[in-house]
Amino acid sequence: MTDHEKTGYIFNIQHFSLHDGPGIRTNVFLKGCPLRCRWCCNPESHALLPEAAFDKSKCILCGACSLGAKEPAVRFEHGEKVIDRTALHANGERLALVCPTGAISLYGEQKSVGEILDEAERDAAFYSRGGGGITLSGGEPLFQAEFATAILREAKRRHIRTAIETCGHVPWETLREAAEHLDYVLYDIKSLNSVSHKEQTGVGNEQILENFRLLCEHFPALPKLVRTPVIPEFNEHEALEIKAFAESFPNVTFQALSYHTFGVKKYAMLGKTYTGYIKNTN
Amino acid sequence: MATVIYSSQEQRLQKESNSGATGSRVSALLEQVRAARPAIDIERGKYFTESFKQTEGEKLILRWAKALYHYAANASVYIDDGQLIAGRIGKGIRYGVLYPELDGDILGEAIASIASRDTSPFDISEKDKGIIQNDIAPYWKGKTFHEALAKAIPADTKPLTYNNDEEFTSRFVVNETASFRSSIQWVHDYEKPLKIGFLGIRAEAKQALFALDEFNPVHNNENKPFLQAIILMADAIILWARRHAELARKKAAAETNQTRKAELLELAEICERVPAHPARTFHEAVQSQWFIQLFSRVEQKTGTIISNGRMDQYLYPYYKADLESGAITPNKAQELLECVWVSMAQYVDLYLSKAGGAFNEGYAHWEAVTVGGQTPDGQDATNDLTYLILKSKRDFPLNYPDLAARIHMRSPRRYLYDVAQTVKDGSGFPKLINDEEVVPLLLAKGARFDEAYDYAVSGCAEVRMPNKDTFTSPCAYVNFAAALELALYNGKMLKYGDEQLGLQTGELEDFQDFNSFLQAYLAQQKHLLKHAFIQQYHVNKLREHHFAAPLSSALNAVSVAAQRDIHTEFIPGGIDLGYYECIGYATVIDSLAAIKKLVFEEKTVTATQLKQALETNFENDELLRQRLLRTPAYGNDDPYADDFGKLIDKEAIAFTEGYCKTLGVRLDLRYVPFTSNVPFGKVISATPNGRFAWAPLSDGSSASQGSDKKGPAAILLSNFHTKNYDRSHRAARLLNIKFTPGSIAGKEGTQQLVNFIEGWRDLKLWHIQFNVINQETLLAAKKNPEQYRNLLVRIAGYSAYFCELSSDLQDDLISRTAHGAI
Repeated sequence: MTDHEKTGYIFNIQHFSLHDGPGIRTNVFLKGCPLRCRWCCNPESHALLPEAAFDKSKCILCGACSLGAKEPAVRFEHGEKVIDRTALHANGERLALVCPTGAISLYGEQKSVGEILDEAERDAAFYSRGGGGITLSGGEPLFQAEFATAILREAKRRHIRTAIETCGHVPWETLREAAEHLDYVLYDIKSLNSVSHKEQTGVGNEQILENFRLLCEHFPALPKLVRTPVIPEFNEHEALEIKAFAESFPNVTFQALSYHTFGVKKYAMLGKTYTGYIKNTN
Repeated sequence: MATVIYSSQEQRLQKESNSGATGSRVSALLEQVRAARPAIDIERGKYFTESFKQTEGEKLILRWAKALYHYAANASVYIDDGQLIAGRIGKGIRYGVLYPELDGDILGEAIASIASRDTSPFDISEKDKGIIQNDIAPYWKGKTFHEALAKAIPADTKPLTYNNDEEFTSRFVVNETASFRSSIQWVHDYEKPLKIGFLGIRAEAKQALFALDEFNPVHNNENKPFLQAIILMADAIILWARRHAELARKKAAAETNQTRKAELLELAEICERVPAHPARTFHEAVQSQWFIQLFSRVEQKTGTIISNGRMDQYLYPYYKADLESGAITPNKAQELLECVWVSMAQYVDLYLSKAGGAFNEGYAHWEAVTVGGQTPDGQDATNDLTYLILKSKRDFPLNYPDLAARIHMRSPRRYLYDVAQTVKDGSGFPKLINDEEVVPLLLAKGARFDEAYDYAVSGCAEVRMPNKDTFTSPCAYVNFAAALELALYNGKMLKYGDEQLGLQTGELEDFQDFNSFLQAYLAQQKHLLKHAFIQQYHVNKLREHHFAAPLSSALNAVSVAAQRDIHTEFIPGGIDLGYYECIGYATVIDSLAAIKKLVFEEKTVTATQLKQALETNFENDELLRQRLLRTPAYGNDDPYADDFGKLIDKEAIAFTEGYCKTLGVRLDLRYVPFTSNVPFGKVISATPNGRFAWAPLSDGSSASQGSDKKGPAAILLSNFHTKNYDRSHRAARLLNIKFTPGSIAGKEGTQQLVNFIEGWRDLKLWHIQFNVINQETLLAAKKNPEQYRNLLVRIAGYSAYFCELSSDLQDDLISRTAHGAI
């Protein structure tokens, strides 16, 4: 199979991204992630396979989700729109298709490398300025290592600049192979303390830090941006330390990302519970 | 929680709450303007009427020159306290003036209700009302262009143009704009009077007069009155300027403050000298330019679209010389420019007709200043004055004049960053015009390289070549969404009941396949274009019998060489570039895509169901409406929708390719609605894209409100893919992009905005303008207008105070998707 034909699961292609690498970029969001960060704003990215979600604010209780049966999947109970999660799980794809308002939607679809790059390349007029290009994001893009690397390789064949947003929790060999085809790396370092890292993300940080060292050693010319989402009651106190660590390597810049809860609604849509920090405001 | 980032304009508003005053001279002047509600001044109407009563039967251009002279000799002249530039033509701080030759027939009735109308109201005194109703309006009854045109338009075109009432109110189907202004957007050659003065212009005319063949009947009847009119007009403007000098001296004599006294004496000297003589200093050049601008507004109702032209080019030699000699500092020069900006803001275009008011909401004006671009020989044109004008726009939050920045492949980085920074400051300035699209098109339309490189932006998105263009007729606005409605209902519109306005192409239920429906739509579109061109034929024929413009003619080389008034239907040596307007582009595209997808491809909705839903304005069909809203839409770089855009554009261009030759004028297709997408929407019932009945149509070449979901790059790409680059019968496309301040914050944000502008330029799109504003701010301003009186927003080709817009237009603006940080 050529790179062009290889397929994988993505959940979004976002055009006109301004904050994910140099210039104007097209972000390809790949599904699947080895981490479960408590504050994650993309819960739809966790699982590899497509998942159906329900957004009750868009639902107009039209009943189209009965799929010919007596009862619709969404019912109005005690003043609330409630979805039958079992039905959603079993028939997600069909339900998303019949739902007129998009209240039921499907996160994730299978696409080929060729399809993805054809779509991304439509934005090429914007890439040529300011060093723009495509950025692989996720999830953890290297969770689908072969697929992700195929996208990068094919992009380079088409002379499109490439970047990746990675958590670094992948085998070194995977990262190394991807890096061969990368122009820019956005590398997340969440904590230098493996214990609290494990508590907050589900995994320790050893592989992440080791991969970062290796990446800097083997690809010194590759520009890297280390990013730390600053999470209250987790790594706030460490941010400066992480910055110092990152900047001790050549060709590395550092950026702190402020904490936000934009993703919280998506947990409810997916029937999941948000376990991140929620600040008491107002 | 996310931090909301405010643009500098929003920050300024929050900080200063209601006042933009900083204590400086121009801020004080500006404060007065802001607080004033526009009032009507009758002098222009009065003196023109008096003069016209005396000159019945004479050659029109001479009558015009005599009226100008009568005005110049008798009208009040003004110099505002603190002003360094003399001249306004109305007694109020913000004023509108009367042009009864245009639509004086509706003057009486319009004046009665003008103070209380929704869109762009004006105040007027009871005494002035009396003069209008007794002395001015009666004279013009039966003589105006408006009546003549209504009479001339054939019976089967009329129902698409006017309602069957006495005032000929608009139907907003095939709309004429010729009876609410005397000229299409226009630019003078300002360089000539700055260089040789009106005494020079007068001398040239005098010389030409001697050179005429005294036995030649055409010379006697055409050329001679033309030249006599130029001479009289020159006398008029010189006399009028010197009356300002006299006033300045009088004011100086009474002035106790020594500094002000000296300023007034200097102003007196300047007004004595210009525009009669060539300008010697920057101050003289600016004053001369302003006298010419202002006298243009006395001459004719221009829709205030006699643009300022390439100010950074023709004023630069004076600025440079003064800087070098030490006569001026950049700050002083900026202050002088700002004195002129305030003067421009004082003039408000008075539209009598409801259509005129609704087209130009928020007291729109269009006297664009052009900066940047290329010199006639194709070099980059930016200079210190370019940057000074941009800086003035950042420092001084005033919506007039409109500022247009020309962009080309080699525009310097400094210029691009300065432009981006100015855009970010939040007032929507400048709009950008793309040399890479405009210059080749002008060449294809018959210009020489030097003429094409030297174009000036004119009005809201158009361009003019000041010494090449000769077509001045305002043009038709065609409601393409009406064509769609006619195709749905066998040639009828719900708004107009049983009237057979279109062709009988059948009901939606009758079509066996999508292509037959598409052909029906295209037939209706062609039907409307047919009537638009019939209308235009009469506009073009009639105008020279109703309008003349000796001043504008003297400032156009082609007109001067041919010795014909600029409004003459055909002038040898010129290029006649007109246009017609497509309104509702995205509304139509999205509707066609929705019908194709749901009715004919997926067959999940029957034609009957759809029609019922449309006829009842989705009353019981919210479910269907939701499905319609989710079909492919223009503005998302989706070929499914965009292919229709390209087809509509192509067919419309094919029509003008076929028939503009018979008119002798290029009528090129453009998409520049001002604010007219709102009134045009008010006659269109619910559309298959899920738009409710009577809601605004899509705007210009922008996406339908709220249906652009893939960000600004996709909107640009949809524009790109729907254009027919192999055709030259196309003109401006107006493109609005709304950014929230957060998405382009900081240095990196400016860099990204530059990247985006360069992408736009590389795609060879014609025009772009930005609103950098939070949706929250707009909602708050709608709720508490008092606190947001200073909030400027970008509308069509211009910026206006948000709180002066009608509630409909405010909602339209709020509903346009804000492209937030991604």
